[in-house]
Amino acid sequence: MKILVCIKQVPDMESRFKPDSAGVWYSDTDLAFRMNEYDEYAVEQAVQLKEQLGGEPEVVVLSVGPDRVVEALKKALAMGCDRAVQVQDPAAHLKDPWQIASAIAAYAKGENFNLIFTGLQSQDRGSAQVGVTLAEILGIASVTTIVGFEYADGSVTVRRELEGGLKARVQLKTPALVTCQLGLNVPRYPTLPNIMKAKKKEILTLPVGELLHEEARSVTASFYAPPKKSGGIVLEGDVAVQVDQLLDILRDKTTVLR
Amino acid sequence: MNLELTEEQKLIQETARQFAAERLAPIAARLDLEGDRESFLANLKELACLGFMGLNVSQTYGGSETGSVAFSLAITELARACASTAVTVSVNNMVCELIQSVGSEEQKQRYLPRICSGSYPAASFALTEPGAGSDAAALATRAEPDGAGWRLSGTKVFITSAPYAGVFVVWAVTDPAAAKGGGISCFLVEAGTPGLVVGREELKTGQRASATNEVLLENCRVPAEALLGRLNDGYRIAMSELAGGRIGIGSLALGVGLAAMDFATSYASQRVQFERKLVEFEALQWMIADSYTELEAARLLLMNAAFRKETGKSFAKEASMAKLFASDAANRACYKAVQMLGGYGYTASYPVERFARDARITSIYEGTNEIQRLIIAREVLRSFS
Ligand SMILES: Cc1cc2nc3c(=O)[nH]c(=O)nc-3n(C[C@H](O)[C@H](O)[C@H](O)COP(=O)(O)OP(=O)(O)OC[C@H]3O[C@@H](n4cnc5c(N)ncnc54)[C@H](O)[C@@H]3O)c2cc1C
Ligand SMILES: Cc1cc2nc3c(=O)[nH]c(=O)nc-3n(C[C@H](O)[C@H](O)[C@H](O)COP(=O)(O)OP(=O)(O)OC[C@H]3O[C@@H](n4cnc5c(N)ncnc54)[C@H](O)[C@@H]3O)c2cc1C
Repeated sequence: MKILVCIKQVPDMESRFKPDSAGVWYSDTDLAFRMNEYDEYAVEQAVQLKEQLGGEPEVVVLSVGPDRVVEALKKALAMGCDRAVQVQDPAAHLKDPWQIASAIAAYAKGENFNLIFTGLQSQDRGSAQVGVTLAEILGIASVTTIVGFEYADGSVTVRRELEGGLKARVQLKTPALVTCQLGLNVPRYPTLPNIMKAKKKEILTLPVGELLHEEARSVTASFYAPPKKSGGIVLEGDVAVQVDQLLDILRDKTTVLR
Repeated sequence: MNLELTEEQKLIQETARQFAAERLAPIAARLDLEGDRESFLANLKELACLGFMGLNVSQTYGGSETGSVAFSLAITELARACASTAVTVSVNNMVCELIQSVGSEEQKQRYLPRICSGSYPAASFALTEPGAGSDAAALATRAEPDGAGWRLSGTKVFITSAPYAGVFVVWAVTDPAAAKGGGISCFLVEAGTPGLVVGREELKTGQRASATNEVLLENCRVPAEALLGRLNDGYRIAMSELAGGRIGIGSLALGVGLAAMDFATSYASQRVQFERKLVEFEALQWMIADSYTELEAARLLLMNAAFRKETGKSFAKEASMAKLFASDAANRACYKAVQMLGGYGYTASYPVERFARDARITSIYEGTNEIQRLIIAREVLRSFS
């Protein structure tokens, strides 16, 4: 079995973001980068499946981006992936999800992966398109937002999260692609010896120009912080009334009471 | 010149930071206040499984082979959340490095995997005695030949991790006739050896989750193989391993200082008095500016000492400078952090009073800062004589 995990490197979301000089994305100077949270679930699930199958599957981890993404790839290797592919693109942030998926598909086509794991979405762009678009280009089945994963005899059973806290079980045959959501698993910490050993694993660098021949289908025209909203909601009146109002707000606007 | 960390160093730093935030920070205040040895040891075990007990130890013996820079980064990150855990990890690493550098092949194979894997919850470095603190060469514990082995008798004090250490490195006088410091040897004594008695635990100002005990040696018999390193070479071994340990203590101090300043700065960015956020007052801005400048200088001194150690250069002077400066900087930063919180900084409702207590010992143990100055001056003066 051959497994592909697609990961993206994103800034620490606690950072202060400023637009870049072109005003179409954030400036990445002074930002600390790490693996996209949802992609950690993807890596973990792939490695767990490898362990379940006695180490037989080969797990390849891929990232599109500038050279700094090698750090994220090394983390995935330290967590247990076998080899890595960097689709080298210093301008990945200017590509739309269609182009990113096309570049990955161009690599994946020749490799005949049985299973592909991606994150549900990236924490910075949040398009949630790359996984499903990749599956469509490859012509394989896909399921999004998985919170449970089982594999047996070429067949995958996943649990999905639906609106309002409902769940669904979905079965599909390989080859297939799944996009991973919070709650799927608890990603392991890479051990220090494994971080050091990952140095010896293969990291293949492929210039994006060799893989991507598609034009963008959408462009980000500008990147900006919304004007600051003033104040919050101030509840007034009798305490009992205020409590009811608060409960209504929590019920309508948040998930804490669901 | 390159001040950029390698990808591996960044990943180790990130792993330590994440572990500290997820596992250590949530319970650090409770461990300090009430003690909960079970949770404390459970975290140490997990850290061992991740490879934090033998950062600078060969993978042949179960270590991680990450080098000294990564060791410094890891200790700083752990200390941001829990100094008690960080000091335990630092001492374990120092013991491992000591065994690796002077131990026999059998000793390395027997002890290093046990410390690195966490099958020993910790390891102890038993040098200090009631009459031999700063003046370690004045120690009085005796090791007398006893059949094929040795018989140890004496009293050690302030021994970190003693109640749960699997093995103790014990210094004792083997040649009382030798000149001061010239007749001391080093022994490996396993927990449970008859005559090795873990005594009273100190009630401390800070780092309270980490145990500090008296250790009594009452006619404690050890085999000939317990001798660690060459006979009568113990004092030199202690001094050279403490130099590495000081990088750990300086890194720990840096973590505590940063944690205190980060907390106080974020607090003062929100707290309003006189219709203004506290950070708008110049008085607080100067505390912030001074503290972060000093902590950054401490970080650079530490990185320099660690890098020199990692690349095989002499580093004792640099390690002493880093420990001296980082521990003083951390204490000043913690003092200011408490001040920035006003009355709240003095209460256990906020973590800065704990940071201040935890930082205090860093200018004392593994050589007081007065002793660091003696070492630095001696090294500097050597090039003038
Ligand atoms: C929490 C904790 C953990 C510890 N862990 C360990 C451990 O694991 N293993 C271990 O072996 N030890 C350990 N120690 C002991 C520690 O290293 C000693 O406390 C330290 O070296 C100082 O020795 P002392 O306490 O006897 O002080 P003293 O040596 O009595 O010093 C008292 C003061 O006099 C100053 N002074 C002494 N000599 C001079 C001089 N020549 N010039 C100028 N000033 C001088 C000192 O700087 C200090 O300010 C620990 C101590 C503590 C508190
Ligand atoms: C143990 C204890 C006992 C106490 N007992 C009593 C008591 O019996 N009765 C009572 O009424 N109160 C008592 N207090 C409260 C104490 O007087 C206040 O904590 C103190 O006045 C500081 O106020 P604060 O804690 O709100 O800090 P803040 O006013 O929030 O100050 C935080 C920091 O900002 C600085 N700061 C604030 N404004 C300025 C400015 N304009 N320029 C420069 N710096 C500024 C402060 O100096 C301080 O460093 C007690 C507090 C403690 C901890």
